[in-house]
Formats: sequence, structure tokens, C-alpha cells
Amino acid sequence: MFGYTFQWNQALARLPKMLDGAVVTMEVAVLSMLIGIAFAILLTLLRLSGSRPLRAIATGWVEIARNTPALFQIYMAHFGVASFGIHFSPFVSLLIGITFNNAGYLAENFRGALKAIPDTQTRAGRSLGMSQLQAFRYIILPQMLRISFLPMTNQMVWAVLMTSLGVTVGMNSDLYGVTQDLNALTFRTFELFAIAGVIFYIITKAITLSARLIAARLFRY
Amino acid sequence: MKKTIMATALIAATGFAGAAQADKLDDIIASGTLRCAVVLDFPPMGMRDANNEPVGFDVDYCNDLAAALGVSAEIVETPFPERIPALMSGRVDVGVASTSDTLERAKTVGFTIPYFAFEMAVTANDGAGIASYEGMKGHTVGAVAGTYEAIALEKQVQEWGEGEFRPYQTQADVFLALSQGQLDATVSTSTVAMANVKTGNFPGISVVGKAPFDTDYVALFTSRNEYGLINYLNLFVNQQIRTGRYAELYEKWVGGELPDLTVPNAYR
Repeated sequence: MFGYTFQWNQALARLPKMLDGAVVTMEVAVLSMLIGIAFAILLTLLRLSGSRPLRAIATGWVEIARNTPALFQIYMAHFGVASFGIHFSPFVSLLIGITFNNAGYLAENFRGALKAIPDTQTRAGRSLGMSQLQAFRYIILPQMLRISFLPMTNQMVWAVLMTSLGVTVGMNSDLYGVTQDLNALTFRTFELFAIAGVIFYIITKAITLSARLIAARLFRY
Repeated sequence: MKKTIMATALIAATGFAGAAQADKLDDIIASGTLRCAVVLDFPPMGMRDANNEPVGFDVDYCNDLAAALGVSAEIVETPFPERIPALMSGRVDVGVASTSDTLERAKTVGFTIPYFAFEMAVTANDGAGIASYEGMKGHTVGAVAGTYEAIALEKQVQEWGEGEFRPYQTQADVFLALSQGQLDATVSTSTVAMANVKTGNFPGISVVGKAPFDTDYVALFTSRNEYGLINYLNLFVNQQIRTGRYAELYEKWVGGELPDLTVPNAYR
């Protein structure tokens, strides 16, 4: 039936290249999270602001990021913007696409976290003479990040997995791209992708486990 | 009575033994359907017509093969990177998918003798000022991931030590990127280059010259251990040439000088 003999040594010989790819995958994921969190905080602030157009921009961002496929967002960051003469390299396109997605989801996480923090805390801060922004910065933000810490690790895992969409915009240095290149070269599809799957699993598992350890240390009352 | 039983048992045993030995060729004949993996994003070898029906050289080739086997043909659309998974997971019987018969790949799948040969051409964005293959040095170039030309071009870019190589997933994406100026040039088979430039879907690009890669011989492929089928396919490819059908299909889909499928001074 399955006319195929698995030859693991053929694929394992390419493991160093795949691990190089895994490093690039981590780079993209980490960068997209850091920038994504910054943008998500900005979006949260915009959504809290009194200005209608600013709120509309933030809501629009979150809506598009959450309600369209990540593939679409990454594709748009490459081929879409190129129609207007703006050219990004595959790495940058992928980074923009995932960051856009991260920011949208995280902003929504932050909104949920904010709901869990009573309004009275801001008012208490204000009555101590803090400005609106100071109250947000010193009272609300730390609690918001704490509440949404675990959802953030979820998004981090998602960011790692989303890097595999980079191949659609010509990315070939990340784990998935490297694997596909090697596949074209050797046709050892099953072995190579099985190894890639294991590497992805190890990366994401490491993220969730370390996040749990960090949370346990950071959030001890 | 005993003899009859023994005879029946013997016949049954041979029957079962025969069934156990049935190879893929038998399976295809028995099922009445030949399932071919064809890349439909690769004009004029495989594409879709105005009615969204698969057409092209590879589609006709599969139909001819099915006719020779006396079965009906089923075209299974298979993007380049998915040719092997499609075969190994049993979704297709044979790949008629313009697949280059490299030695590295032949360790995994079984190739027939070549049924087609490509010459490689350089297509450039008119704004990039590239007039030849050598002119691509230092530029951003790309090709379809997983193809012969992509592998060769990536190697060349590494040898040049400057410029950038980007593989895209489909031929359409490559020409879109080229037309947008994201790529300065691409190497593709000359037939594909001509076909895409001619459509007018991708303004601002033109074929600027040949790429000095070795002739890209492409072969049918199936599971490596299906000798019976490979044997049949080899004879079929030979017959296609002998009967003039190869020349006929070439004229229909490509046109121009018929590529020689034999290697001078070699046995096969």
C-alpha cells in the first residue's frame, strides 16, 4: 500500500539547516510579539481615548486582524502593498503580517483584562493627584499585563506557528521554508516534515512551560 | 470427490496468490481509473481553460496514457511541493507533472525515461536593466519553490555571493512579484516564460535571454518499487515519440523546435 521506505538518516543529515531555520522562526516570533505588544497597548489606549476617529482606527485594526486569515494579512503585507510601489522583503512582510495579527488579538486580550480591573482604581489614582496617563501607567497597565500574561503566551505560540505562512511570500530561511526547500531537493517529504513538526512542538512546548515558570515567579502574592 | 476439492483449493490458492501479487499496474486496470498528479499552475504544461477545465500538455499526456491503458483519466491538481505526498498517500497513481529527474529525487521515487525537456529562459522586469543571465548578478531574483530552475538559481546566487533569491509558491506569484518589481528577474522554462509574457496579465516584463543551465529533462514518476508500471510507462513514452504523438502535442501546446529527449553518446 504505502510504497515508501522511511530513510531517516537522509533527513537527519539536514537537521543543522533546519535548526538554523528554527532560529529564524524564533527571531520572527519574538520580534513580532515585542512589537505586537507595544502596538496592542497603543491600540488599547486609542480605544479608551475620547477621540472618535482614533477609536475607529483602533477598532478597524482589531476587527481586520481578528476576522481575516493570517495568510491574507501576510500576503497583503507583501503583494498587497507592492501594488502601491512599496516593497518589503519576505522577512519584513512576514514580520509585519504576524505583528499586525498579534497586535489585534492582544488588544482584545488587554480589553478583557481591563474589564477585570475596577474603574475605582483609576479614580483612586486620580484623587491622589495622578494624571489620567499616570494612573494608566502605574496602576492599570501592570495589572493588565499580569492578567493577560498567559493569553500572551498563547499568542506567542500562535506567532511561532504562523511563521510557517512565510513561504507564501517567498520566505525560505525560516524553519518551514528551509524544510520545503529541502523537500524539493530530496523529495523526502515525510521524514523532513515530521522532523519539522517535532521541532515546532519542542519550541512551542518550551514557550508554554517557561511562561508558566515565569508566571509562577513573577506573580507570587 | 477429494480430487475436486483439492483442485478447487489449488485454483483458489493460485487465485489468491495472484491477487496478492497484483501491482499498481493491475490496480489501475482493475479500478478503471488512472489518477494523474498534474500541476495546473504551469502553462502550457498544465492550466485551466475558460471553463475551469484542466488543459495542457501534461493533461493531454495523462489522457493518452489512460487511453492506452483502456481506463478513464482523472486529473488531480497537485501544486509542485505536494507531488510526493500525493503519490505516497495514494491519492494519485502517476505523476505527469513536469518533474525533473534528479538523482537526489530518484532515491525517493521511481522515474521513467524523459518525456519532455525544457530550456530555461531569463525573464526580467523592464525597470531592472537586466539584459542577460549574467546581468542578474547582485539583483533580487526568484523562481517557483521546488522546481529544477529554483534549485539551480539558488545555487547560482550563492555562488555569486551577492543578490537575493526568493522562492514563491506558484508560477503566478513569481510573475506577479516580477511585474510589481519585487523581483528583478526570474528563471523559468522558456515555454512558461513565453506563455506568461504573452497573456498580458503581467505588464512590464520581458524575456531577455537563455539561462545556461543543463537541459531540464522531466520524467513521469511513480512509486520506486512499481517496476511493472515503470516498465509500462517507459514503453508508453517511447511509443508517444515513435507514433509522432509527442511532436503533435508539442506543436499544439508549445510550438517551435521539438526538444530532443535523448542524450548524445549515452545508453539511455
